[in-house]
Amino acid sequence: MIMPRGSGQLLLPAKPWFIALSLLLALLADMLPLGPQPARPHLLAVVLVFWNVHQPQRIGVGWAFFLGLLIDVNQGAVLGQHALAYSALSFLAVTLHRRLLWFGVWQQTAQVLPLFFAAHLLQFLARMAFGGMAPSPWLLLAPVVEALLWPLACALLLAPQRRAPDRDEHRPL
Amino acid sequence: MALATLDRRPPPLFRQGLTALTKLLFCAALSLVLMAADARFGLVSPLRSALATVLNPLQRALLAPVDAWDELRDRLRGARSAMQAEQAARTLLAQQALVLARTQTLERENEALRRQLGLRDSLPVSSRAANVLFQSGDLYSRRLVIDRGRADGMQRGAAVIDERGVLGQLTRVHLQSAEVMLLTDREASIPVLNARTQALMLAYGGERHAGLELRFVAANADIKTGDTLVTSGLDGIYPPGLPVAEVALVERRGQTGFARVLAQTLARADGARQVLVLEPPAAVLAAQGEQREPGAQPSRAEGKRP
Repeated sequence: MIMPRGSGQLLLPAKPWFIALSLLLALLADMLPLGPQPARPHLLAVVLVFWNVHQPQRIGVGWAFFLGLLIDVNQGAVLGQHALAYSALSFLAVTLHRRLLWFGVWQQTAQVLPLFFAAHLLQFLARMAFGGMAPSPWLLLAPVVEALLWPLACALLLAPQRRAPDRDEHRPL
Repeated sequence: MALATLDRRPPPLFRQGLTALTKLLFCAALSLVLMAADARFGLVSPLRSALATVLNPLQRALLAPVDAWDELRDRLRGARSAMQAEQAARTLLAQQALVLARTQTLERENEALRRQLGLRDSLPVSSRAANVLFQSGDLYSRRLVIDRGRADGMQRGAAVIDERGVLGQLTRVHLQSAEVMLLTDREASIPVLNARTQALMLAYGGERHAGLELRFVAANADIKTGDTLVTSGLDGIYPPGLPVAEVALVERRGQTGFARVLAQTLARADGARQVLVLEPPAAVLAAQGEQREPGAQPSRAEGKRP
């Protein structure tokens, strides 16, 4: 097999059940009833962007829309608020996916930050148009926290793909 | 360098499916239609209720870790603070016992007086207890979710109170849960009565710091910080005489004809655990029935009046 030049490691194919499990866990984490907290990061948004970037053929805009709808119902928000934001987020991530992976992790973080800002801005505009209350300014912190979670998501969600292709008992890694 | 993968299947050349842009346009249009249908026309409540019924067991299961964390914190705070809390609760109970005893006497007296004067009896209010599941995470509104729904006979428009005062109103009723719109929500308003001066006023939610704003109060009106506001009963939804809020700030500016009055709600949403849901009066039910099926005879709902 030909190794691409300069790359340290080859990745195993992503397992569909792992993708589904990570999305489910992120959804559950976002559904934890902690009350309204403006600076709370949306884990589901981070995981969605991650899979949109790494597996755009499997997880696309449609899944983002559906998961957003579930979050809307759970929060009792206007139906479509998160669905719209996550669809846009997912589209931006899919358009970004060919370029993004050529950068290091921290440069990737800088590039996904505007995406999360755009998602929160869309929600803000949608709710202001449909008569919501102005949220506290701490909301500005949420996209920053989400972007800072990006390196962690890369480490955790790529871990199952980093194992050796043919496992050897004498060489655990 | 991008990380390469061992996935050696060829990328699909011909069956690419819809492009992301097409999907985005479709999903964005659908979300906008949903939002308009939800916020302006109220058409999507069946869809929301169906999804809420599916999510309800998950939501209840997710309460377990949060409750466990609260219990752990209570335990770490120790026996001393628990005893203090119990002492406070007992004191409150004793005070309420006095109020209750006096209220019962007054009620009997009131009844006798009404009979002498030939006035109509005040309508009895029936109520059901419910537990608060959690405060909704939506940043743009103020809502609570309670553990009773359509299956327990909850109805839209019912008033919700806790031990301190009025909390709000049921706005969305699902099968096994219901959403309470708090008085501090921007869309909420309630007619109130200043208990000291018996002046009628309107309180609107949406004020971020204090909670309620009293609008259309004349600049020279008799209102002071610390005045208690109670429900006036004019709306037919909230029974009269329930405590609502306390005036927190009165600002009389020279230029305008109105004073800026802010009030702090007495019921605290973050502290509420058990609430009472008051049955909506027959008139409200009749109005809802007419809304649902225009042209229907109002006598159907009228018959339910006790």
